[in-house]
Amino acid sequence: MLALDVRNVNKRYHNFHLKNVSFQLEKGYIMGFIGENGAGKTTTIKSILNMTHMDSGEIHVLGRNMSEYELELKQEIGYAMGGVDFYTRSKVKALTEVIKKFYVNWDDETYRNYLLKFKLDENKRIAELSTGMKVKYNIAIALSHGAKLLIFDEPTSGLDPVARDELLDIFQGLVAEGEISILFSTHITSDLERCADFITFIQNGQIVRSGEKEEFKESYLLLNGAATQLNQVKDRLISYKMNSFGFTGLILARDFNNSWDMKAATPSLEEIMVYFAKKEDEYV
Amino acid sequence: MYNLVMKDVRLAIHPFFFLFPFLMGALMLIPNWIYFIVLLYFCWITIPNLFNQFKAQNDLMFTSVMPVAKRDMVKARVLVIVGLELLHLVTAAIFGFISMILYPDTNYLFFPPNMGFWGLNLVMLAIFNLIFIPLFYKTAYKFGWALFAAVTAAMLFAGISQWLGIQNAVVNDIFYGTDAQQVKLQTFILIAGILIFVALSIIAYRLAVKRFRRVEI
Repeated sequence: MLALDVRNVNKRYHNFHLKNVSFQLEKGYIMGFIGENGAGKTTTIKSILNMTHMDSGEIHVLGRNMSEYELELKQEIGYAMGGVDFYTRSKVKALTEVIKKFYVNWDDETYRNYLLKFKLDENKRIAELSTGMKVKYNIAIALSHGAKLLIFDEPTSGLDPVARDELLDIFQGLVAEGEISILFSTHITSDLERCADFITFIQNGQIVRSGEKEEFKESYLLLNGAATQLNQVKDRLISYKMNSFGFTGLILARDFNNSWDMKAATPSLEEIMVYFAKKEDEYV
Repeated sequence: MYNLVMKDVRLAIHPFFFLFPFLMGALMLIPNWIYFIVLLYFCWITIPNLFNQFKAQNDLMFTSVMPVAKRDMVKARVLVIVGLELLHLVTAAIFGFISMILYPDTNYLFFPPNMGFWGLNLVMLAIFNLIFIPLFYKTAYKFGWALFAAVTAAMLFAGISQWLGIQNAVVNDIFYGTDAQQVKLQTFILIAGILIFVALSIIAYRLAVKRFRRVEI
């Protein structure tokens, strides 16, 4: 079953265009949603949550159409946005008291358990929580109302390595039973190397590729060659950089020819992102 | 709906704004004052503070993520505004009643705080709502120009009706008189005020919903 099915979403702003965005997230998995700042990650997420009006396209969550069943589906969606705070001068307790009233499946016991597990102090004000604690608080809220799809927009940005690591462990623990699915947008690709099952890469409003993480990475190769060899492959490279030893460039694995006398290795997510961004710059 | 109103009450509206009507209402005890000002303080102080708080605390985002319909978000916000307006009006009317007992022989230059005057106040707030609420929901977070336009209109209404009350013999007779016939007329004006207030607030709500549906959050 699909937890999230985004089909041909189009949205035009005067200086930005989301073009035919489509991707699917299987239930019980973590999908990393990557792209540089301004690539369209947040716009896509807002479209999923019906916060912006799509020009065309459809969003299905847990098998149901979001535009028809928005209120029912929002009962099953947990959402957290890194770096945006609400009612920061209110105490955790007060905020929870208000939020829980909106959810029919709210479970106080689950909430208590997560407070203990995450060592969240209910008497603290939101502003007093660390960035990591705020994300944990959002997770506690989402899980206490029985959310099946968690959407996190840059949850790990601004976190120290220890807090990030802890959070990624929590994410993996959540999907382990197969009921909960996570869509997780970030530009910190190392987080995804660790915990994502699928990767969706968006650039300049278009999905470059969406698929299983290893397959995603293996569909590209990072080539190292001497400067004299560059002309031989230049046309096929997505983009390249020159250095004192020659060049390094990204190429689609299917465009690679074994007869070339060059070193080829599977790139990291970061390298894929960086070389795609460089390609973009060349056209500008 | 109830949950949304309670969200505003518990998180966004400082208790001060529920006590404020009593402080402002007490201004009715100033003899022979321009009593229109008492309710205008709501437009001048409460509204901008409230809407600044909603904006600063990202209320729009906070609420949009939750399972609530856009229509209900507007309805709850209109109820909050109308509720506070009525709280201001009722407390001011009570203080006004006390004021009339305290100073029975006042020769009122500005409108005396009788039923006819409260009818005019309701119309003033109705005009304020009709302009402020739909203009605000064009963006659902910017309130400056909406407030400016609505306050200007409300003050113009108050100013013109007060001017007529002083200058025009017929209007003066209706609003300042204490005979049975005039009191009856003032009661009708109050009822008309209530109807206008309800009608314009509903229209404001409907227009706001239409505009809010187009807002990109």
